Amino acid sequence: MEMTDYIIETQNITKKFDDFKAVDGLSLQVKKGEVFGFLGPNGAGKTTSIKMMVGLLKPTKGQVRIDGQDMRKLDKGIIGVCPQELVLWDNLTCAESLKLMGDMYQVPKAITQERVEKLLGDLFLTDKADTLVKNLSGGMKRRLNLALGLVHQPEIVVLDEPSEGLDPQSRRVLWEYIRKLRDDEGKTVILTTHLMDEADRLSDRVAIIDHGKLLRLDTPENLKKEIGEGDIIEITLSDSRKIPEVTETLQEIEDVLSVFEEDGKVNLRGLNALSKLPQILENLEKKGINVVDISMRHNTLEDVFIYLTGTRLRE
Amino acid sequence: MKFISIALKDLKELIRDKRGLIFILFFPLLLIVVFGFAFGGMGQSNQQYNLAIVNYDEPATLPTSNETINYGNNLTQLLKDVTYQGNSSMHMFNVTIMSESEADILLKNRKIDALLIIPANFSRSVVALIKNTIQTTTNPLSQVNTSTVTSTLIIRGDTGYINFGVSQGILVGLLSEYQDQIITSTQNAVKGTPGASSAQYISYDVQPMAGTKNFTNFDFLAPGIMVFAILMLATTVAANLTREVEQGTLDRLKLSKMTGFDLLFGGMLPWSLIVVAQVLILFIVAVAVGFHWQGGINSIVLAIFAGIIGGIASIALGMIIAAFAQNDRQASNLGILVTVPISFIVGAFFQLPNLQVWGFQFNDFLPWTHTLNALRATLIYGGGWDAISYQLAASALLTVILFIIGLILFSKSRLSVDN
Ligand SMILES: Nc1ncnc2c1ncn2[C@@H]1O[C@H](COP(=O)(O)OP(=O)(O)O)[C@@H](O)[C@H]1O
Ligand SMILES: [Mg+2]
Repeated sequence: MEMTDYIIETQNITKKFDDFKAVDGLSLQVKKGEVFGFLGPNGAGKTTSIKMMVGLLKPTKGQVRIDGQDMRKLDKGIIGVCPQELVLWDNLTCAESLKLMGDMYQVPKAITQERVEKLLGDLFLTDKADTLVKNLSGGMKRRLNLALGLVHQPEIVVLDEPSEGLDPQSRRVLWEYIRKLRDDEGKTVILTTHLMDEADRLSDRVAIIDHGKLLRLDTPENLKKEIGEGDIIEITLSDSRKIPEVTETLQEIEDVLSVFEEDGKVNLRGLNALSKLPQILENLEKKGINVVDISMRHNTLEDVFIYLTGTRLRE
Repeated sequence: MKFISIALKDLKELIRDKRGLIFILFFPLLLIVVFGFAFGGMGQSNQQYNLAIVNYDEPATLPTSNETINYGNNLTQLLKDVTYQGNSSMHMFNVTIMSESEADILLKNRKIDALLIIPANFSRSVVALIKNTIQTTTNPLSQVNTSTVTSTLIIRGDTGYINFGVSQGILVGLLSEYQDQIITSTQNAVKGTPGASSAQYISYDVQPMAGTKNFTNFDFLAPGIMVFAILMLATTVAANLTREVEQGTLDRLKLSKMTGFDLLFGGMLPWSLIVVAQVLILFIVAVAVGFHWQGGINSIVLAIFAGIIGGIASIALGMIIAAFAQNDRQASNLGILVTVPISFIVGAFFQLPNLQVWGFQFNDFLPWTHTLNALRATLIYGGGWDAISYQLAASALLTVILFIIGLILFSKSRLSVDN
């Protein structure tokens, strides 16, 4: 693969706040035209990472290259950002805010006008065009927050937790819109999320990060494959002190790939786990251990995360 | 032009934030009202002022009686004798006759409050005045002015010194009264109005005079309070600029092609409109609560002009403050921490000692010093454009410098990549 196929490359970027490493030696490449997902729990360092990638924050170490160029030589029009927090001018209307951003990127007036109308339409804000931002609903503000980063038609669209605070319906609209950005307009989209579902469904590739470190970077399919196809069985015991003992016992069973404690439950992953269920229960009974609850499901990206970090992603 | 878009955006935000706008416009108003009531009644404490007189006058001959009179001495005597209204034992001035060089030294040390220099042609000008008065009284249709001699009396003093402010106010009033009295007594003498003695052209009985009755401490303090109000604007500007940082919208703008100049110069334009409104309100309210100024409408126009330049300097100061404040509240606190001492340094509240650094008064590097000088020169001393053009130029120049400093500091701390 040629260098130019990567539109963004981070080389060992690190961000320290005093003694605390928010991002720790992150190296990755984002391909032109893909949806790249950053997945990690709150505080993992996602926002800090993308702030360095768009040039709002200076890395303590390492560097970011965009289109093979050093950040400092960047044409500012190439990146559009939708920040995690609502960043809006309360006393401007939707249309005024969008036009302002068009002006700030030196987009010709006529083109701005066209873009503003299209964006308002795409994001269902047309009838709110002349409403003051402070009078919008939360969901509308979210959508405007996104639109403001798109007026200048950037090559790279960076979305920091775009579906935060959206109802399921708006979320689906957003996802559809993000896919359209990639498929119809050929944009590169970088999005951060702590929602497995979102990362799984939208991203071409997912970077899993925690404590500022890159744990894995691959397609959702490959990531799921990596920890085995299998199923997950979660067992809740009446006495959680017995978990270590149970974990040890169950490991002996054939075809069980991993057993560990997670959130006070025993998490067992194995091929064709359903057929193992009687054997498992028999094992526990022999030891006189009481099972309160038992559940089974298919392997998800979240399981990949749990496998990698030992903790569940939290909202 | 990106700065125009920014200017329009800021203007919309300013106008639509009604509560903020009302506060911005009414705050200085409040300040003036408070000071107006606090100091408006003062200054009539019947204090005696130290007046030095240098008399260069040469006597002149009266046309009617061929009598030779030195009107300089006459005026000197009058000034010695003037007493406060309702307190005939209290003389307004403690008059000392001395040489000009002597007087200048005493003025500098503030041993005397004001110096009056009577020019050599003073008597001749009074005689000319009398002649003209006789002529116009006896033959009102005559267009010929037989002789016109104008003499200029000089009132000299330290314009930063409140006692000078008051004594010159009294003097100006007395001098115009003096001239009026010469005219009326000449007219009376010519017409033979009973009760007027033909030899006496000057009446000594002191009437309540505009200059003495009304000139209050507030009148002297008002320019200082105006400058203080103008300075306070820096705090508001800083808070507004910091809000852009706080709500994150500055990051949006930073990511765009906007430059620091676009943001700050664009932001300066709507604030300048606020300055104009504020300065106008300041003056209207000051006059409403009893501010007396010299020089009529002309003075007010010049003063407003000076105020606007000072206000723009405050905007630049606000940018500098915003470069250091992390949030709204810090900006307000820091703003007060900066503007109040500056008010003192420029001499808005107290007279300051004469302290020279490299040939400049130590506070000359602050634009508001010149704003204050200009306001005093025009409002208290009735100075015209000539009197204040230097001050206006100096404050304009310093404002530009301040703006550039603000631009550099703000761009460095707020518009560069965060560390
Ligand atoms: N400006 C800052 N100063 C100090 N610590 C910070 C700052 N910004 C972020 N952090 C810390 O860095 C870590 C990562 O934050 P962030 O990148 O916002 O995480 P995420 O976006 O993944 O939720 C957190 O622990 C956060 O508290
Ligand atoms: Mg974040």
